[in-house]
Amino acid sequence: MKIRSLSWLAALLGALPLWAERPAINDQKAPAGRKDLEQIQSLLHAALPKARAATVCIELDQGSGSGVVVSEDGLILTAAHVTGGVGREFTVRFEDGRKVKAESLGLNSETDAAIAKIVDEGSYPFVPIDRDDSTRLGDWVFSLGHSGGFDKRRGSVVRLGRLVRMADSTYQSDCNLIGGDSGGPLFDLGGRLIGIHSRVGQRLPENMHVPMSEYLANWDELTGGEFMGEGPFAKKPEKGKGFLGLLAEAHDGEGRKAQRVRPEPPAEAAGIKPGDLLLKMDGHELSEFDDLKDLLKEKAPEDEVTFEMLRDGEPETLTLRLGDRDS
Amino acid sequence: MTARRSILCLLVASTLPSWSANTLESAYRTAGPAVHAAFDEVRGALQTSSAVFQRGRKEIIFGTVVSPDGFILTKASELGELSDVTVTVDRDRYEDPVLIAEDPAWDVALVKIDAEGLVPVDLSRVDNPSHGTWLVANGATTRSKRRVQIGVVAANTREVFSKGGTVLGVALKAGDEELVVESVEAGTGAERAGLKAGDRIVSFEGEPVGDREALLEELKERRVGEEVVIGLERDGEPLELKVELAGRADVFGEEVTRNDAMSGEYSERRTGFPRVLQHDIMGNRHFMGGPVFDLDGHCVGMNIARFSRCETYAIPAAELRTLIEQLMGDANKG
Repeated sequence: MKIRSLSWLAALLGALPLWAERPAINDQKAPAGRKDLEQIQSLLHAALPKARAATVCIELDQGSGSGVVVSEDGLILTAAHVTGGVGREFTVRFEDGRKVKAESLGLNSETDAAIAKIVDEGSYPFVPIDRDDSTRLGDWVFSLGHSGGFDKRRGSVVRLGRLVRMADSTYQSDCNLIGGDSGGPLFDLGGRLIGIHSRVGQRLPENMHVPMSEYLANWDELTGGEFMGEGPFAKKPEKGKGFLGLLAEAHDGEGRKAQRVRPEPPAEAAGIKPGDLLLKMDGHELSEFDDLKDLLKEKAPEDEVTFEMLRDGEPETLTLRLGDRDS
Repeated sequence: MTARRSILCLLVASTLPSWSANTLESAYRTAGPAVHAAFDEVRGALQTSSAVFQRGRKEIIFGTVVSPDGFILTKASELGELSDVTVTVDRDRYEDPVLIAEDPAWDVALVKIDAEGLVPVDLSRVDNPSHGTWLVANGATTRSKRRVQIGVVAANTREVFSKGGTVLGVALKAGDEELVVESVEAGTGAERAGLKAGDRIVSFEGEPVGDREALLEELKERRVGEEVVIGLERDGEPLELKVELAGRADVFGEEVTRNDAMSGEYSERRTGFPRVLQHDIMGNRHFMGGPVFDLDGHCVGMNIARFSRCETYAIPAAELRTLIEQLMGDANKG
């Protein structure tokens, strides 16, 4: 008898942390008065410092969005329409102004989920992910984001609301979003990450988030750099759309001579100069006039290519990432 | 000023998820009546200490009651002509409000109505309420009743410089060698100070300025409403004028960003404030001017600008206290 009651107690104790993690206020249809409001407020106050420290601004050429760090070595969850592709490099800024380099890993163009990774080695502030899918309709939640871009004086911006709709691949909250918030985190009152900001409706209260389950279900693909799906949130790079940014002319003997470098990236940015003699691309000899063109036909924007070349008679090797012919 | 866009997808039909019955009734949403009911204690403070300025039936702006004898603070740039404006406090409507004083740096106007026994706001002593602190402001209002609108402190309390910096209110002749005034914008400090076309600007606050860039540099981190001494040469004679600075966007207009386009009715004057408390209470430009309360019913600020669909600025309590003292002091002296 005694043993039995003890094991019952142990089971109860084991279950306690779970209870403690789900605030009582979430099981009420509405706060009844001041006490309940104070419960929400004090939970929010307690969760905010860690959540803010891990929320980042993502700065890309095409615009700025938000993201959130979920591991000490700098794994970032964000939205597919923010990173826009796989293997893209960008700058990440923490609220305290710290600036680091990051690279996009995989994305799902159908759900808008994307993962990136800070490239600079270091130890970063991060938040826990809600792995138990413990969120329920009506739960109190808060959003963070670098609305309208990074602003050191202002910092990241918090909004409080409730989960008002839940579907398989989308949550809707009444935390209002605006440009720049995309990719930013949605938290429960315990400070666990439950969603990533994705999009808004034309009507004010329609704010959509990608639930954590969409990340967790495809974790290996997303961290492994896979471009998933053919949805509206990102466009797969097309072969033949790779853009080098230089005009070349035939040269006596072997190789192509970079005749005139266009004043635009990526060739110019990578440091190819007029007069450089291109010998090989990715190990393939450039002996015929059309070799370079043919090789580039197989390349898509964001692909990396390596040139071996001669500059003033000296051999040089240069690696660059192709641009988009259409942009 | 970066040209960087802010990314956000607008919902398109194809991305609409198919919702199951898993939808929260609107009454229980954050802006719903069931949630607002929990703030009923604070609603009392809104009822007695906020004001509603109306032109005919149209609500033009809210106000904050700052004295028992009818002094009310509001947002100056939304007020316009006072002749046909009425002011409602609690259940009473007052006619013929009088403009007593203005502070252009804060875009604040002090108005007097013929009233007695009003309940002024109880200004908070907490200077910097932390992120996530509950706030309550005026929402929809009827003739007899103020309703709550709720939100939280959303960002760092800080100075917000005027978008694009400040200007004197003149267009300069092209060319870099001289700063010659080509034209003076109507309604600006430059016009009031008496600058004229053909004037040559030679100094700024006593320091010589030679070119456009130097002048722009001087104007970048100044405040709207600040007065500066401009040294001129007019017909070969030296001259000094005191010019009140204006916001660039206020004089020359501003580019409408995508975030602006999705923000509905934001305040026209929405940047260039010495210090603001930012929150996420919903509303539009006509919801400004009213008090913002914490759960204790203490006034932590006064709404001064709707910046975007989810960003509103309030003058913090500490600055509000100073402003009230100054403006009322001026009024009593006058």
